[in-house]
Amino acid sequence: MLGLAIRNLFARKFRAISTASSVFFGVSMISGTLFISESVNRSFDNLFGEVNAGIDVTVREATVVDDPFDQGPQAGFEDSILETVEEVDGVESAEGVIADVRISILGDDGDRIGPPSGGPPHIALSTVETDEFDALTLVDGESPDAPDEVAIDADSAKDENFEVGDEVTITGDAGASDYTIVGLTQFGSGETSLGASLAQFTLEEAQRLTGKEGRFDEIDIAAADGTTPEELAKRVQQAVGPKFGVLTGTETAAEDAGDVTEGFSFLTTALLVFAGISVFVGGFLIFNTFSITVVQRSKEFAMLRTLGASSRQVLGAVLAEAALIGVLASLLGIAGGFLFVELIKLMFGASGFELPVTSLRLTFDSVFWPLLVGILSTIVAAMIPAVRATRVAPLEALREGGGSTEIKARTSRVRSIVAALLLTLALVLLGLGLFVTEEEGGALAEMGGGLVLLFIALAMLGSRFVPPIVSAIGAPIEKLRGVTGRLARENAQREPQRTATTAAALMIGVALVVFVGVFSASIKSSLNDAIDEQIAGDLAVLNKDGFSPIPSRISDEVAEIDGVGVVAPTVNLPVLTDVARDDDLITGLEPEAAGQVFNLDFVEGDEETLTGLAPDEAIVEVGWAEDNGVAVGDVVTITGPNGESIEVTVVGSVEDTSGLVVLSLAIPRETARDELGANQDATLLLSYAEGADPDATRESVDALLEDQFPDTETRNQAQIKADQGDQINQLVSLIYVLLGLSVIVSIFGVVNTLALTILERTRELGMLRAIGTSRSQVRRMVRYESVINSLLGTIVGTVVGLGLAVAAVQALKDEGLILSVPVALPFVVLIAAIILGVLAAIRPARRASRLDVIEALQYE
Amino acid sequence: MNTPLGSDPTSDAVSPAEGAPSPSTSSAVRCESLSKRYGEGEASVLAVDNVSLEFPHGQLTSIVGPSGSGKSTLMHVLAGLDRPTDGRAWVDGTEITALKDTELTELRRDNLGFIFQFFNLIPVLSAEENVTLPMRIAGKDTDEEWLEQLLQTVGIADRRKHRPAELSGGQQQRVAVARALISKPAVVFADEPTGNLDSTSSSQVLELLRRSVDELGRTVVVVTHDSRVASYADRVVLLVDGKVAQDTTVQGEDQVLELMRSV
Repeated sequence: MLGLAIRNLFARKFRAISTASSVFFGVSMISGTLFISESVNRSFDNLFGEVNAGIDVTVREATVVDDPFDQGPQAGFEDSILETVEEVDGVESAEGVIADVRISILGDDGDRIGPPSGGPPHIALSTVETDEFDALTLVDGESPDAPDEVAIDADSAKDENFEVGDEVTITGDAGASDYTIVGLTQFGSGETSLGASLAQFTLEEAQRLTGKEGRFDEIDIAAADGTTPEELAKRVQQAVGPKFGVLTGTETAAEDAGDVTEGFSFLTTALLVFAGISVFVGGFLIFNTFSITVVQRSKEFAMLRTLGASSRQVLGAVLAEAALIGVLASLLGIAGGFLFVELIKLMFGASGFELPVTSLRLTFDSVFWPLLVGILSTIVAAMIPAVRATRVAPLEALREGGGSTEIKARTSRVRSIVAALLLTLALVLLGLGLFVTEEEGGALAEMGGGLVLLFIALAMLGSRFVPPIVSAIGAPIEKLRGVTGRLARENAQREPQRTATTAAALMIGVALVVFVGVFSASIKSSLNDAIDEQIAGDLAVLNKDGFSPIPSRISDEVAEIDGVGVVAPTVNLPVLTDVARDDDLITGLEPEAAGQVFNLDFVEGDEETLTGLAPDEAIVEVGWAEDNGVAVGDVVTITGPNGESIEVTVVGSVEDTSGLVVLSLAIPRETARDELGANQDATLLLSYAEGADPDATRESVDALLEDQFPDTETRNQAQIKADQGDQINQLVSLIYVLLGLSVIVSIFGVVNTLALTILERTRELGMLRAIGTSRSQVRRMVRYESVINSLLGTIVGTVVGLGLAVAAVQALKDEGLILSVPVALPFVVLIAAIILGVLAAIRPARRASRLDVIEALQYE
Repeated sequence: MNTPLGSDPTSDAVSPAEGAPSPSTSSAVRCESLSKRYGEGEASVLAVDNVSLEFPHGQLTSIVGPSGSGKSTLMHVLAGLDRPTDGRAWVDGTEITALKDTELTELRRDNLGFIFQFFNLIPVLSAEENVTLPMRIAGKDTDEEWLEQLLQTVGIADRRKHRPAELSGGQQQRVAVARALISKPAVVFADEPTGNLDSTSSSQVLELLRRSVDELGRTVVVVTHDSRVASYADRVVLLVDGKVAQDTTVQGEDQVLELMRSV
């Protein structure tokens, strides 16, 4: 039976290839993602392993609040701790160092080198006396010895054409300074810094630039002979107390690598989700292809049965063919994984980010799992058709014409019932996920499961709604194109279930595209509305990346400028509260100024509640307050990243569903800075003074920023909206590319179905040609059928996508989401469907038109 | 068996013009020294061997012969479905052997009608739609009166909205006959038109072919190995090994049977 399966596969090469392609794409995406993940993890493990190689024990500030986006103060700690550490028994040597990611090395154009921040960091490092602590190796020149000297990493120098002796501008918390490059460095043995740019200063200069005079980010310790790092770490921990985290070098390396790779695990998960979509769509294609071929080959199975083959052998033959396709496609898919990595790198490169993927390696995980998924999904998808093949009675070998219509009629009622049940279950799951389940993971799982069931149910119910929809789509084609259109329309609904499954595969991709389009447009318009409503200031000062903090000194400097009226800096600080389980970002406002640049939507209290906000008072966002059971009059305890706790009384509440100003709690900025350790601002809003020339004022502000804070820029309201839109669009286009892969898979499905259908109708086509249908008429007929197929999938997909988006927006109404449907989207999608339909028809149509008339007439 | 239905069929057997070719307009189909060879070298088969024939308008001719005699191949070439290796052929005065593929398609569409053994109706179209299909392919308007007359003649007027699957084999073949006649073609080719029918349905279809010649003035060429089918014709051409072995006027089924047995 295996031999038969192999023969069948080779006899129908094109079909095997296009069927295999459905598996190929999904497997490529899985293996490519695993390649990326393995490479990233390995690279960072190596990097941090090497960086911490000579260090036995490190002392850092203990983490009180998680701060994944580096919004917190990162203030370091008092250098006096070094003395305490040095006195610990077993410490051979100890040294305080600076390692600060809030600097920017500027290129000759005055912009931060490399991608805009948000990509790999720029790190300020201090020189060390102890050679073992030095993660850097000089490749050219010498180490910095004076405040105006710097050594930068060789990779960045090469990218920017910097050489020893050149001048470079570097900005930090203290503003911008000019340095002479005295040396070029690299990490340890020369393994790349994975995109990070490094600037090494003398300790004093590093402290000054990063605003940490008299402070360290870390103390590195070497153990004396006879003392193990573990022992020493314990002793040091005892000496410095619980405000500090003491780890061995190995632990530090693991923690640092973990922090970085955690960020990438989000990417990995997202990519795997899209790979899953491709696999799912591919499953539809395999199911459909095998369903059709099983019917077409029922005579062959019947013949095998009359020759004495058991139904189990028939099942085996079909499954073996599926498994073969699965194996071949999966093996190719793993090779395709390398291409997928390139695609992802390209896409990130286009947005200015370089993925830290160095070398790709085949590992057990990156081979085994894609193979398993590819083969299993193929076999599972082919299971139902294979079982159907076993139901072919031996007698059918003797019957004229193929296809067992009796089995179909019997199962169609069962199918409708099952489909209805699945649909109900799908809607229940979606409803639960969207409206009921609070916990994020559970809700996502319910929605995912609901979607899978929804798509399967819709495909199963397809035979019911295909005929009317196809009739409607086909009507204009028939009207315009006459008999070829009429035949295409009739042909498309000849086997409604087949058409439904083919279209369903496309429907999935289209539904998700439409959903993402509508959902993102809704987010955009909601944000725009929020900006319009809540921001009254004329100009914002932001980090150029749009989200990183800005130095707090800017507000003082900007206030000095002629024409600037109100200056309202805002702090975002990660904290823990006694009311919420997770950490929260709170807002620190200058009460007086904030009242003039923001139009907060007060629920309890009013403008004066804000302007008169006392140091121990807070305003809450109603959504957050509701979630955490906080009411006006309550006292909330807040613990800052510095470990200090304060109590504040809630005196008012605002509605800020998009979290533009008040994310959870708003307290006076002074309290955030003095009590909780905030030392940077998130943004700064300003209004022009009365009678000031807006353009001239903005120019003065711009000049100040360019001179002293080149990482920051001014944006007016329109620009902020455009920036937000751009960021969302970037993400959306990334998602579209990934969904595009599953759309390609579904187009292969249309090709396959058409090709098989044409095979079935060979004699009919021969007759049509004999009675004078021209080749181009035959081509047109196939093309229209293809277009009808893809329009069917697209229209249903658009409706489903719209429905999902409406439901999702409804579910997130509390978060301020307002439905906004981009009018052009459905049209773009429909036009794309027509083009894809035409493309899918190219080969089948050519084949149909080139049939030899006489042979076709004799085809059985 | 041969029952003329009122009109006066061309009674004399037309012998193929020997020597000088007569004006091609006088005959519906004509071929000269037609040969068709399949394959090359020693394995090649001469399916049609130097055949010259002429089929005048308004006649029912049958081409008979055992399997492998080349009768189907001859029909394919005469109908412009296949190209001869040698020789020339005309349909209604047009030399089809000189036509390009698209011209041949148009000729088939406008000047020829086909009836196949397996009916070959489009299952998704109604009986009436199947009949008018050639007109719609050609982008021409259907002559409603003619359509009505045809549907009446073939006896499916009351089943015109039915799809082929809802019709019996005989009814399906009668739809196919109407389809072959709808464009008023110069000649209708029928390849074993009763090969898939029981004897009652066969008779009905054969009567119908007879009437299309007698009442509707069409020209019909039937390819068959069934002597009963051949006996409905005005003239019978016996093909053996790709050559014309006999070409004679039909006098009855026995005569045709005799003729075929002689092979």
